[in-house]
Amino acid sequence: MFRQKRSAKDFAEEIKAHLELEADELRGEGLGADEARWKARRAFGNVRAAGERFYLRGRWVALDKLWRDLRFGLRSLRQTPGFAVTAILTLALGIGANTAVFSVMNAVLLKSLPVSDPDRLVYLRTSNPPRGTGTIDSNETFSYSVYDVLRHEGRGLSPVMAYVPLSGSKVAVRYGAQPEEAEGDMVSGTFFSGLGVNLPLGRGFSEDDETNHAPLAVLSYNYWTRRFARDPEVLGKTLYVSGVPMTIVGVAAEGFEGVEGGGSTDFWIPLQNRRELNAWGNPPQDGKLYIADSTWWCLRLIGRLAPGASRAQALAQLQPVFQTAAYVGMGGAPMLGEKPPVLSLADAKSFPGYEMDYGRPLRMLMAMVGLVLLIALANVAMLLMARNAARQREFSLRQALGAGRGELLRQLLTESLILVTAGGTLAWGFAQMATRLLGQWAQIETSLAPDRTVMLFTLGVLVLAALLFGLAPLRVALAGKAELALKTSAATSNMDAGKSRTGRIIVALQMALCVVLLVGGGLLIRTLQNLKNTPLGMDVDGLVVFGVKPNIPSLAEGRAFYLNLLGKLRALPGVESVTVMEERPGSWWSDNSDMRVDGKLPDVANGASRTVRSNVVGPGVFSTLGVPVLAGRDFADSDTATSPYVGIINEEFAKRFLPGVNPLGHTMGTDDGRYTMTIVGVVKNHKYRSIDEEPIPMAWYEYAQIPMVGAMSVEMRVHGDPLAILPAARKAVQGLDPNLPLIRPMTQRQQFDTTIAHQVLFARLAGFFGFLAVVLVATGLYGTLAYRVSLRTAEIGVRMAVGARRGQVVWMILKDSLALTVAGVCLGVPLALLVGRALTSSLYGVKAMDGTSYALAVAGLAVVALVASAVPAGRAASVDPMRALRTE
Amino acid sequence: MATQENNDDRIALLQGTLDLLILKTLLLGPCHGQGVARMIQRQSEDVFLVDHGSLYVALQRLEDRKWISAKWGVSENNRKARFYALTPKGREQLAEKAGEWRRLTRAMGLILDASGGLGEEA
Repeated sequence: MFRQKRSAKDFAEEIKAHLELEADELRGEGLGADEARWKARRAFGNVRAAGERFYLRGRWVALDKLWRDLRFGLRSLRQTPGFAVTAILTLALGIGANTAVFSVMNAVLLKSLPVSDPDRLVYLRTSNPPRGTGTIDSNETFSYSVYDVLRHEGRGLSPVMAYVPLSGSKVAVRYGAQPEEAEGDMVSGTFFSGLGVNLPLGRGFSEDDETNHAPLAVLSYNYWTRRFARDPEVLGKTLYVSGVPMTIVGVAAEGFEGVEGGGSTDFWIPLQNRRELNAWGNPPQDGKLYIADSTWWCLRLIGRLAPGASRAQALAQLQPVFQTAAYVGMGGAPMLGEKPPVLSLADAKSFPGYEMDYGRPLRMLMAMVGLVLLIALANVAMLLMARNAARQREFSLRQALGAGRGELLRQLLTESLILVTAGGTLAWGFAQMATRLLGQWAQIETSLAPDRTVMLFTLGVLVLAALLFGLAPLRVALAGKAELALKTSAATSNMDAGKSRTGRIIVALQMALCVVLLVGGGLLIRTLQNLKNTPLGMDVDGLVVFGVKPNIPSLAEGRAFYLNLLGKLRALPGVESVTVMEERPGSWWSDNSDMRVDGKLPDVANGASRTVRSNVVGPGVFSTLGVPVLAGRDFADSDTATSPYVGIINEEFAKRFLPGVNPLGHTMGTDDGRYTMTIVGVVKNHKYRSIDEEPIPMAWYEYAQIPMVGAMSVEMRVHGDPLAILPAARKAVQGLDPNLPLIRPMTQRQQFDTTIAHQVLFARLAGFFGFLAVVLVATGLYGTLAYRVSLRTAEIGVRMAVGARRGQVVWMILKDSLALTVAGVCLGVPLALLVGRALTSSLYGVKAMDGTSYALAVAGLAVVALVASAVPAGRAASVDPMRALRTE
Repeated sequence: MATQENNDDRIALLQGTLDLLILKTLLLGPCHGQGVARMIQRQSEDVFLVDHGSLYVALQRLEDRKWISAKWGVSENNRKARFYALTPKGREQLAEKAGEWRRLTRAMGLILDASGGLGEEA
């Protein structure tokens, strides 16, 4: 249909034939040969006009015009390569940064769970757990008995599904010979069917699988790809989970990695009922596993609203069922004066964990890159305006030669289209790279691959940019009327006042935004420095830590295992000291509870917290960590299961619960009064959960004296590179049990750094975007000034001819940019104050009104302004008066 | 644009009528452009003035619409010429357009004649 069927040449041929035929005929009527030919031509009229009308007839013309415009645009851009490269790079950086941050935000905050009909899914939440229960999260976890009642009697939800990790971090698995670690969850039999997750390979679980605690496993697509190279033969093979053989029966749909944000589940198994596979990898409490223990609220629950039921209806049906179920196995009813727990249903459309972890920083970053984009767009628009103002004579000439406004507009739009297409393509590549890096740094394991939303977002920005760049310069282009072409160039410098005022306002605004970004970046980078330089209260250099999770059936064997392990590790060459502890420092985890002091719950002044963080540790723990013992002693090998029970506290514990007395010799004990220990040491306050925590009371028990021997972390102080000891340590561990991998081995410094990883990432990115803004503002300022100087060449020439000195000329130019800087700062500082206030919660050790950050930002901007002005000012000063005047 | 001498007794063709005239002319048999122009002029007793440029554009338009087909041939006096012929689709169109035209002229005639002998007085 779009094929051009007939060439213009063929048409011309036909007209020639016509003229000859007509002439023949006229000759036949008696005219002379010449007269006949002349008359035939006259009768035909304008031959060329007919040819033109033939040519214009086709639909091809529009495309043909576009092609010509494109070639013309490319040619005119090639004439100013500096401009083209600057504009394209600016666009690529601005748009790329936005696409990258938006990709992450989209994947993390906006995307729905990859399940069918996610709108009908709800997380179950409770206002509080009943008194006397232990929880993983006081609002989000439930006991097995609650789950069991709800799934049978909770008709508002169909089904109710439970899922629970096999470990707080990773669990030991083995496929073939090599032990390794992976993230695994135990789930309901209805998990895959209820969520509506497809299984491209194999099958999911059934309710029977749950009832029978079938030894089956489903792999995540990601894990299948990463570990099994997408081998379809994997079905039917055996995966050992904590030493228990599981048969792989399926692979879940790509993109489904569990229903909690923050991590990615590698495999799922049906809910189990055996010691090695207790929920969260915990040892049995009083001999009870999670299934039998109604006081341990450890399962997460998710449900699908029953067909036809609204959320309110479902909740109304579930509430009484839940409130009864909450006390199953716990006396059946709330204690006197206890507030019963209240069930609620929360949206499960997206990952709630992500929102908590990344929501604020990501929104902040999005705002920052938004500002960067504004600066970038303004820059390119200004560059275009300057360039097109310089081309005003070209436009005037073309108008004088008969080009319509439409044609000029089309040409400008085409040029902007070329810029935007090139910039956009580059931006997309840049964004892909940046997104991958972002995902790595932030340790986001969800797939961040851009989807349709991201593409639409980028496309939207690009279209906006193309229109802006096409339309903004049009005003300038059309301002020069056709007659301008006939005037001298002096006319141009008169025309220019109004336009450059717009340019100056834009530069001032850009500078204001730049101040905002610099202040924000500065505050966050100072936060970062503060975090990095925070004293930990221990000597982390030379410390390495890893976890082991031995398969221990009894306490005595557990003690023996660790005694054995400590002995083996201490014997390794280069090892200074070794100890074990339940929770390693810097892991975010802690055991929190109230404690008895001297047999009773301590009185605390005006309602302060009685919470104590406790840890179960091995001998020599404080000398290994390098924490000073202020009074008394460290734990020693002589503290055993049979010796008197001893404990150690920190300064804060002594200050709050034993003020004004020597704590040594006093006793402390667990909340329930089952264990009592004599305090034998006081240690200096030091960081425990994370770098940015405040000191709180802490207590330590000896691992041999507390019936809590399961997984432990091993801390080793070594000479030289701490990580170099790991192969020898691994050999020692596997000498005791070949199934045991080293869990999350790293230096203690790295372990602490994980607690500020988000802040570090946030600060680095903010710093980077601040820097990007500065570079962009510098280019913009340079472009505007250089352009203004080039317009004022004649004026400067005149000034110098009548005796102005170079210094005066330079000052004239610098004054210009200084005025802009002052205006930018005046506007930017109040804006920055607002941003600083919004940032307050992300800051550490620095105030939102931090004078240094503001001073540095302003100074930075001033330097940039000076540097950007120096080149044009230098050029102005070196104007040769004679040449300048002659150019007129 | 083309300047034409303005003979009083000739009328410039109404927009859209040229197509109809071409189709009607071709009903008599295949013909080249110059022949079509001549025939229209002759059959209208020299009342219609056919702008040759427009004629060829119109021929091309009709060809694009597949109402007529064209091929190069040789005229009776041995000149190379492009011959146009009516397609079946063209025939349908002719019938339809001619009907439309008759309805239009009839309606015009009714109105003009009903005004009471204005035509006669002129």
